[in-house]
Amino acid sequence: MADFAQTLMTTLAVGSLYALIALGYTMVYGILKFINFAHSDIVVLGAWISFTLTRWLFPAVGLDAHNPDSPAPPLWLGASILIAAVVACSLIGFVIERFAYRPLRKAPRLNVLITAIGVSLLLQNLGQLSFMFGPSPQKMPALLSNVELWRLSLPSSGGARNVVIGLVDVMIVGTSAVLMIALEFLVFRTKIGTAMRAVSYDLEASALMGIPVDRIISYTFMLGSALAAAAGFLYALKYPGLNQPAHTTWVLLGLKAFVAAVIGGIGNVRGAVLGGFVIAAVEQFGAYYLSSSYRDVYVFALLIAILLVRPSGLLGSTVREKV
Amino acid sequence: MTNVSTANRTAPNQASPTLLAVEGIGIRFGGLKAVDGFSINLPRRGLYGLIGPNGAGKTTVFNLLTGVYQTQAGRIFLDSRNLVGLKAHQVVAAGIARTFQNIRLFPGLNVLDNVQLAGQLHAREGLASTLLRTRRYAHEESEIRRKAFELLGLFGLQERCLEPATSLSYGHQRHLEIVRALAANPKVLLLDEPAAGLNSQEKLELAKSIRHIRDTFDLAILLIEHDMGLVMDICEQITVLDHGEVIAHGTPHEIQNDPKVIAAYLGADAATV
Repeated sequence: MADFAQTLMTTLAVGSLYALIALGYTMVYGILKFINFAHSDIVVLGAWISFTLTRWLFPAVGLDAHNPDSPAPPLWLGASILIAAVVACSLIGFVIERFAYRPLRKAPRLNVLITAIGVSLLLQNLGQLSFMFGPSPQKMPALLSNVELWRLSLPSSGGARNVVIGLVDVMIVGTSAVLMIALEFLVFRTKIGTAMRAVSYDLEASALMGIPVDRIISYTFMLGSALAAAAGFLYALKYPGLNQPAHTTWVLLGLKAFVAAVIGGIGNVRGAVLGGFVIAAVEQFGAYYLSSSYRDVYVFALLIAILLVRPSGLLGSTVREKV
Repeated sequence: MTNVSTANRTAPNQASPTLLAVEGIGIRFGGLKAVDGFSINLPRRGLYGLIGPNGAGKTTVFNLLTGVYQTQAGRIFLDSRNLVGLKAHQVVAAGIARTFQNIRLFPGLNVLDNVQLAGQLHAREGLASTLLRTRRYAHEESEIRRKAFELLGLFGLQERCLEPATSLSYGHQRHLEIVRALAANPKVLLLDEPAAGLNSQEKLELAKSIRHIRDTFDLAILLIEHDMGLVMDICEQITVLDHGEVIAHGTPHEIQNDPKVIAAYLGADAATV
């Protein structure tokens, strides 16, 4: 019982991160029908920009960023760093779309896909340059003191055990929930969201109904990148040991979020959120109850199973081929 | 002065008789001349037809006029404003709206949203006021909604406005496409086979609706249609396209008796018989 509750808490936190990243993949796919492989690198940028800003701003509030025992800064500092990372990554997302993908709008989809891989490699390797983030891992100073919010005593196999619910996990789940509800509102309740959905159904017809398609695509990239930046920030809160930008942990994080989008039904906003939590559950519960060395295997095995049974994903509709 | 008044008598209340002037537009796909040297002069309140055998390039003409394809030659003027080089959404803003041969409504959106989206075109309020929900934004939105709702009344679609567009019958989906195009507040309406798939009763009603729309909204209409009965009935002038080139232009009576047109439709032998 206690183990279950603890694993569930981790699932919610990790699932929120997957969901935030998966949303970016799914929105871009929904509109342009291609996988933006550079999306996971926006997460990396989000995390590393947060780290850099933290290093700069800690002395400003009289703290030492290099001291691992330094007390946590006031909450507004963390909030402003989050906002700054979100704004920076939105602009980066805009620039990538404008200069890498837009010139290829009429090119075959494969060309765009290969370009996306190129952009991904470019970002990874630019990030490792010494004047950027450098080629070595860094320790993110704590922006939140990990206070215990609740300590529940629950029965377990070896007697009662304590389950600790910490501030960081609650912050991750809470921030993600707010962002996802905001996105839901934007996509389904505003005219920009309606235009995004129209473009995802039929790009050409949308243009012919007067929708400025290029601008809507820019918004979509900015929105996806903003969510990715938030995910990167929250990831750095939870796992302060930041690996260098081209490290495989980042690739794996992006890949799992992509799997989440596919499992939920790529192109479907709610599906991406569902997929994020589903793969987090499989990964965390599998790691706890079966074997933690196969945690990645569970995720990809689930992907294969879903693709066999329901190729369009859990919430995806069957694709009608246009003739 | 006397000259002006004579001009006014022939074309009352009109500054220039030609609204849409198209001169020699064309496009090649590789070695294929899809459309070559197409010209047409569509007057205000004109109701013109564009016909031709399958593959003659009729829809390509629409795509050239609406900016889906960029013309490789010639000129397009709407109200003496040059449209060549504009993107599709800018052409709509300039005043040309269209429907599609294969219905292309937005399937996941409801009937009202389909129409409102096109109505957004002339909205002034941008991203910031959308997110902040300013009062001006709210006012503008309710105005767009009111207009969309009013347009749906043209075809009695008002009570179905919250249903998904795809739940409408085929005939109603065709109507909705016309309503959606009208929501963009166009000066010229391009209808691509509006009668395709309709039964004869529905075609009669469509003919009435097209005339009604032209008169109510003061539009010029150019329509592609295979149903010769409908075309001959409602169009004032007809342009015939074959293999990408205009082979005839004239009144329905002239077109029906033009040997080149008969040859294009029935083969060269039929024309000589």
